[in-house]
Amino acid sequence: MKLCTTSETISFAKDLEEKSGEFYDAIAKRFEEANEFAVFKEENRKFAIQIQRAYQSVITDAIEGCFAFKLESDEYILDTDLPDGLGFSDAIKKALVIEETISAFYDTAADHSMSLMADIPRNFKIVSRKRIKRIERLKINLNMG
Amino acid sequence: MAILEEPIKGMPIAKNYIDGEWVESKGEMIEVVNPVTCQPIAKVGISTKGEIDAAVDAAKAAFPDWRRTPAVTRSRYLFRLLQLLEDNFERLSRIQTQEHGKTIDESRGETRRGIENVEVACGIPSLMMGESSEDIASGIDEYLIRVPLGVFGIIGPYNFPFMIPLWSAPYAVATGNTIVVKPSSEVPNSQNAIAELVEEAGFPPGVWNVVHGGRTVVNGMLDHPDIEGITFVGSTPTMEKVIYPRCGATGKRVIAQGGAVNVIAIMPDCNVEATIPGLMTSFFGNAGQRCLAGQTLVIVDDKGDFYKSFMEKLAAFAQKIIIGNGLDESVQMGPLRDAQKKERVQGYIETGLKEGATLRLDGRTPMIKGDFSDKCFLGPTIFENCSAEMQIVNEEIFGPTMSVVRVKDLDEAIRICNEVPMHNGHAIFTSNGKWARKFQYEVISGNIGINIGVVAPMAFYPFSGMKGSFMGVLHTQGKEAVRFFTESKVCIHRWL
Repeated sequence: MKLCTTSETISFAKDLEEKSGEFYDAIAKRFEEANEFAVFKEENRKFAIQIQRAYQSVITDAIEGCFAFKLESDEYILDTDLPDGLGFSDAIKKALVIEETISAFYDTAADHSMSLMADIPRNFKIVSRKRIKRIERLKINLNMG
Repeated sequence: MAILEEPIKGMPIAKNYIDGEWVESKGEMIEVVNPVTCQPIAKVGISTKGEIDAAVDAAKAAFPDWRRTPAVTRSRYLFRLLQLLEDNFERLSRIQTQEHGKTIDESRGETRRGIENVEVACGIPSLMMGESSEDIASGIDEYLIRVPLGVFGIIGPYNFPFMIPLWSAPYAVATGNTIVVKPSSEVPNSQNAIAELVEEAGFPPGVWNVVHGGRTVVNGMLDHPDIEGITFVGSTPTMEKVIYPRCGATGKRVIAQGGAVNVIAIMPDCNVEATIPGLMTSFFGNAGQRCLAGQTLVIVDDKGDFYKSFMEKLAAFAQKIIIGNGLDESVQMGPLRDAQKKERVQGYIETGLKEGATLRLDGRTPMIKGDFSDKCFLGPTIFENCSAEMQIVNEEIFGPTMSVVRVKDLDEAIRICNEVPMHNGHAIFTSNGKWARKFQYEVISGNIGINIGVVAPMAFYPFSGMKGSFMGVLHTQGKEAVRFFTESKVCIHRWL
C-alpha cells in the first residue's frame, strides 16, 4: 500500500514502533539473556511520541502535507512472530531485521519530507540513528550467543 | 490505513456562549451536515436580534473589569488556553474534518496555525508597550499608551472554521477588549470547542462570547452602537457591499478580508519535482476553498516544449489524488462544503468550456474512496487553452480547478497577475533570483510566494491582501492586530 499523506506516514511509524516494542517485550519474557531488551519497548513508545510531537508542531495547511510522501508500506512489513522453539540467536536475528527495516523506513521518509517540514525529517533521522546504535548492541548479543 | 474516530456524536446542539453561560438559541434550528456522509451531525440555532444584543451587552459589561486586568494577567489566561488547545489538538482537528470535510492533515495544519496566534498574543505585555520621549520641550515629556476600545465583533467564514476567528480573537482579548464571535452556521462546532476551552481556562464571563446564526446576527453586529469594530473574512461581494460600507456608516473600525483570484507563475527553470506537489496543495488542497488557493497557472514558455512536459507530469499527479473522507488518513482531498458550492464550481466548469477552454482533467465524475455519494465531491479539474480575458481566469471559483494559461515571457505573466480583480497571494516558481525579485517587486498582491503555493503568513506577520481582496488599513494577526484592537492615546506632561 502506498503512503502519501503525512498523517498516514506518522501513523505507520507509530505502528512500527508499537509492533517492534511488543516483540521486545515478548523476547524479554521468553529469554533470560534478553532481559536488557525490555527497555526497548519503552524507548519505542518515546520514539513514537517524538515523531508525533514533531509532526503536530510543524504541520501547516500551507505546505504539502497531503502530498509529501511516496512510500510503499509493503517494503516495511515487520516479522514479529515468535514461534515455539525459536532459539535466542534466531530471535536476535529477527530483531536485527526489524531494526534495519525500521531504520530504512525512517531514512527514506526523511528523504521524502526533506524540503517540506524541517523538524519532521530531522526527527526521522534522529530516531534512525538511535536504531543504528541498537543494531550494534543486538549484534554484540548475537556474537556472544 | 485506519479511519479515525469521529468526535461529534449524538446530534448535539451548538449553543450560544453568552456571559459565560451556554444558551440554546430561541431561533430556528438548522442541521449541520457532514459533506462526506451527507448526514446531519449536529444542530445549530439561527440566533435572533435579541440574542446578539444580549451577547454585546454581556461583552460591554465585562469590558471595564477586563480592561483593568493587567496585561500580564490577561496573558496568563491565554497561556492556560494555549495549553488546553494543545491538550485537545487531535479532537479539535477531527471536529474540523467532520464538519467541513477537509483532510485530517489539513485540519491539523489549521489547528496549528490557529494555535500560533494564541502563542503570539501571549506576548501581549511586550506587544502592547507604548512609546515615550523625554523633553519634547523643556520640562515636557510625551508618551503613547495603547488602550483597548471595548467590544469587537468577529465574523468567520466556513472554509477555516477553527483558525480564522483566531486571527483576531486572541489579540482582541489580550489587548483588553471583549468579543462576540459569529462563526459560519455551516460549521459552528469548532468555535464552540474553543469556547469550551475558554471557559475551562477561566476567562471571566462576557469576555469571549459566541453567537451562531446568519444575517440577523451579522446585521445586529454591524448596526450595534456598542460594537467598536469588526473583523470579517468572507466573500468579496459581502465585504464590498455589506461589511465595509456598514462599518463606515456606523463609525466602526474594520478589517474586511474578501476573496481572491490567485495566479501562480511557472518559469521554465523551476524545480519541477518539488513544484508539482506544491501546486497540488495550492490548487486542490482544502478542495480549493481557500482565499490563498491558486486558481490560474501561468506557464512561461515561448516555444512550448517545457509546457508540454510540465503539463504531462502535472496532470498525471493530479489524476492520482485520492478523494474521500478526510478522516481516512490516506485521503488527499475532501469534498466541497456542500452541494450548492459544488454546483457553483460545476457552473464555472461549464462556463470555461463555453469560453473555449479545454479540459485536460475533468473532475465532474470523481472516483471516491469509500462508499459515499458524490453529492459534494468534485475531482481536480484542469483547464488548458485559457486566456487572460476568460471568466475562469478572472472570477473567484473557490473549488478544485486550475485554469492554465501559456505565455511567452515573465512580463506577460506579471500582467495577468496584476489584471485579475483580487490580489491575496500570487506566487512564482523559479530558480532565478532576478525573476523572483522582479515578480515580488512588480506584482500587486498582499502576500507574495516565491516557490510557495499557499502564501499563508505566520501569526506574527499580518495576513495581507490588496485590491478586491481587502478593505481596511490594518490586517489581522501579529502586531497589526494589536494596533487594530487598540487606540493610541498620547499624553503630554509638564509638572509646574
